[in-house]
Amino acid sequence: MILSIGWKNVWRNKTRSLVVIIALVLGIFGGVMTTGIMNGWIAQRVHDCIYIEVSHTQIHNPQFMLNEDIQYTVLNYDKVVSTLDTTKGVVAYSPRVKLFAMVQSDWAASGLVIRGVDPEKEKKVSEVYQRLIEGEYLGGSYKIPSIIIGSKAAESLKLLNYQITSQKLDSIDKTLYPQTVIQKLKGIGDKRFRKDKDFKVVLKETLGEKDYKKYADGLTKYFSFYRMNTSIRLTVQSKNGAIQNPVFKVRGIYKTSNLMYDGINAFVDRKALNQFTGLSDSEVQEIAIISTDNETGIITGEKLAKYLPENNVFTWRKLSPEIAMYTDFMWFIGYIYVGIFLFALAFGIINTMLMSVLERFKELGMLMAIGMNKLKVFTMIMLESIFLSLTGGAIGLLISAVITNMLSKSGINLSFWAEGLESIGFSSTIYPYVTFDNYIIVTLLVIITGMVASIWPARRALKLNPADALRNE
Amino acid sequence: MKVIELKNVEKTYNDSEVKVHAVRGVDLTFEEGEFTAIVGPSGSGKTTLLNMLGGLDKPTSGDIMIGGTCISEMKGSKLIDFRLHNIGFVFQSYNLIPVLTAKENVEFIMQMQGVPNKQRYLRAKELLESVGLGDRLNSRPAKLSGGQQQRVAVARALASKPKFILADEPTANLDTKSTENLLDIMENLNHEAGMTFIFSTHDQRVVNKAHRVITLEDGAVLSDEKKTPH
Repeated sequence: MILSIGWKNVWRNKTRSLVVIIALVLGIFGGVMTTGIMNGWIAQRVHDCIYIEVSHTQIHNPQFMLNEDIQYTVLNYDKVVSTLDTTKGVVAYSPRVKLFAMVQSDWAASGLVIRGVDPEKEKKVSEVYQRLIEGEYLGGSYKIPSIIIGSKAAESLKLLNYQITSQKLDSIDKTLYPQTVIQKLKGIGDKRFRKDKDFKVVLKETLGEKDYKKYADGLTKYFSFYRMNTSIRLTVQSKNGAIQNPVFKVRGIYKTSNLMYDGINAFVDRKALNQFTGLSDSEVQEIAIISTDNETGIITGEKLAKYLPENNVFTWRKLSPEIAMYTDFMWFIGYIYVGIFLFALAFGIINTMLMSVLERFKELGMLMAIGMNKLKVFTMIMLESIFLSLTGGAIGLLISAVITNMLSKSGINLSFWAEGLESIGFSSTIYPYVTFDNYIIVTLLVIITGMVASIWPARRALKLNPADALRNE
Repeated sequence: MKVIELKNVEKTYNDSEVKVHAVRGVDLTFEEGEFTAIVGPSGSGKTTLLNMLGGLDKPTSGDIMIGGTCISEMKGSKLIDFRLHNIGFVFQSYNLIPVLTAKENVEFIMQMQGVPNKQRYLRAKELLESVGLGDRLNSRPAKLSGGQQQRVAVARALASKPKFILADEPTANLDTKSTENLLDIMENLNHEAGMTFIFSTHDQRVVNKAHRVITLEDGAVLSDEKKTPH
């Protein structure tokens, strides 16, 4: 019956209880959503780091880590490959030629890291092939071999152009752009611009200040295009020190959530590259390895380090320490937010419970007089506080679950800050998620808050002298 | 059979400036089946004496024996437990638990004693019927009149099968009809079930019904009169 009394006492003053409950709902919702967003963000960053950038494990010649020279290839390549083929935990691996090159288009030059890969093996280790926004991946049969570059690199090489073609004007979305704007655009003609700055200057002159502010970004994106099949010349050093200038055609452009990665890394077929580097099939600077999951990746990497002591075998934790930090520490940052919200809310609960106890001095005195012991009085008040907290907590969790579930499918669009986020490797679309463990821990935190918040009011009640309380008219 | 014995019981309050002798050297004995009123002007020590009889207050000196057990030295949960099993209370302001129904209020005390569910229900029903509230089992106190609430309080006091019931000004907030009703019920319970009632009261109607009237003045017993009730 103490449970029943505790629950019914919560609703004695409905308004007061509802105020606390609503505060709890908002606090829990805020905390859980923050946890969900952090989970989603970190999961995306960790996933992209491993499945695009570093893989679970990499093998290098120890000298290569100090001086990334073409001659420092992986030692005992055949032994390494047979070890990889027979080690449990290795799902796939991709041998890579890795070298730095100056890359020149007809309009600009840029430094890139060129990775010569076996396309089919590389697909099993990296998701770059899934991030193509234009063109095709490696593997086609062409006289001039293909190169895949990042969107940022394409911009640096002035391969991202802007042109108002009549075809694009005809198919523009007329619900987004009024006829007056479309008419004005016709006046620009089909001049090609290699810089977005120049294109925007012309847009501004044509549209006027007001329309420019409203439509410039959308129009710039709509009328942009990549110049595919453009030839670019690489300047690389071969194995014997000679400078080579192979030509490749840009047949694919990819975009990841990491602008810096997109600006630096390019992929070519290893066989095509080795015609110029002089490297043999068994000479590679890097082998990237994928395991079933991140933890197995560490275990497998440590195993391989023992089997291949002559090479450097590094797991993703060493290759990307900031990702290791995210997975080690960031998981509980969400709980810290929840904890802070609950700490603040606890004072509201204490206030409500204190008022409730002070109003009921006579009743509590009566209960003690007729034989309710102190433990039961304390338990009753604590239960009231827990019920209050749990009611708000449960509703808050339910709302969080529904909204997180929706957002985990649709994503939260932060494209307004896309450039800033992508410059530090974070996607501008977050898919929040909350795990079952998160819900359990938040529920426990809510219960603990209710219990702790009840201590002061309950102690206040226990100090009551029943005789004095009953006298209290 | 003696239910309560008070031996030279004194209660002194030490205020910052002056000592207040609320009860002085009281020697009293209460037998089973008594229907006793303790009367006196305000400040005579009635409530203090009743509180000490109920174990809600401790005497400064002297002994209080209830059913042969000395409660003056009892403390903490032992004293609370003793009250639960031996003493019934009816207060001036009903003091029912407002969120519970009449039946639940009566069951509550039995639940604290560990009485099983079905037994609790049956006894609560029987007690409420005996006080004329058999049709109001599921009504909350807010839906009951003053007199009805006080009758629920009597039923609750009886639920724990106490050795005696202490009633502190039970009729103070009742109208005439409700007072008569309540006193009739209490008298019946005293007569038929042999329940001991000790009242602290200003109400002449209660005094008229009482079989014994103890008059206090300035904390001491002025008179102790056994009489034939009207």
